[in-house]
Amino acid sequence: MDDSQAIRECQNGETSAFRILVERYQGQAVGHAVAILFNREDALDAVQEAFIDAFKAIDTFDRARAFYPWFYVLLRNRCYKMRTRNRETESIEDTEILAPQVGLPREERVALERALVSLPREDRELITLKYLDGLSYQELAEHLQIPKGTVMSRLFHVRKQLQKKLTGQFPLR
Amino acid sequence: MNEVNCDDVLMAWMAESDGEEPMLAVQQISAHIKSCGNCRQEIEQMLRVDSLLKTQGRHQHVANLWPAVEKRLSSRIVPQLGWAPFGLFGAICVAYKLFEMLPEQAPGLAFKLVPLILIVGLFLVIKENPFRINAELIGER
Repeated sequence: MDDSQAIRECQNGETSAFRILVERYQGQAVGHAVAILFNREDALDAVQEAFIDAFKAIDTFDRARAFYPWFYVLLRNRCYKMRTRNRETESIEDTEILAPQVGLPREERVALERALVSLPREDRELITLKYLDGLSYQELAEHLQIPKGTVMSRLFHVRKQLQKKLTGQFPLR
Repeated sequence: MNEVNCDDVLMAWMAESDGEEPMLAVQQISAHIKSCGNCRQEIEQMLRVDSLLKTQGRHQHVANLWPAVEKRLSSRIVPQLGWAPFGLFGAICVAYKLFEMLPEQAPGLAFKLVPLILIVGLFLVIKENPFRINAELIGER
């Protein structure tokens, strides 16, 4: 069943059709929430709340649009409203944002993750959506509900910030 | 020739290298870069960060949220179903009171209650709770 069909059934009061959407997007949503909150438990709570919000608002959803960008707006609202718990450990032993890459030494991945974590949440969200999801400026503008010009200037400043943080951490190749 | 500052040039260069429409003409960007050592150095650094980030992927998170979401949804549906009968009962009580008041020469008060009945009736017909949370979410955009 595709998204549009599942949403139509949800709009007709079929709660079970919502399961398809939850199961289809939960992994992606948790990844996005972790990138903002940097805490898996908080991320799981935020995603759960966002799915409840989505179900409540499903009647207002325009089926001509894609589900996930619409859901993402609800998800980030939830993430930014949350009071975050502290991470249990100071050291980033298990990286939660970046996937292990063949050929990239682990310490470099950890250093990059550290640099990402030290960025403000909004900046971390922007840079991960750009590079890890490969979103275009237009898609970033839609996801973040900001003008395209703002995406461009924020991205520029975040890249510069990241560049500063990474210089000295390990030699950039 | 218009003077452009380094940040504007670098931002335009970044947009172009991302495959987006730059805010400056390509010739203007390359002319500035050619004559500005500082920009060339910045670009070199940006390219390094860019190539490092481009090789990364998002960590795949495994989650099974449906049981929790389903539980929340079903607990939410029960009170919703219980709302309509109470509304209907209230409407019947008001209608009965109005009917009772008619012979007691107080039709003015009775007619003041008519708009209230109409509003309650309207909510029952459209089955829409005016206190829905999504209104707040839409308002935040």
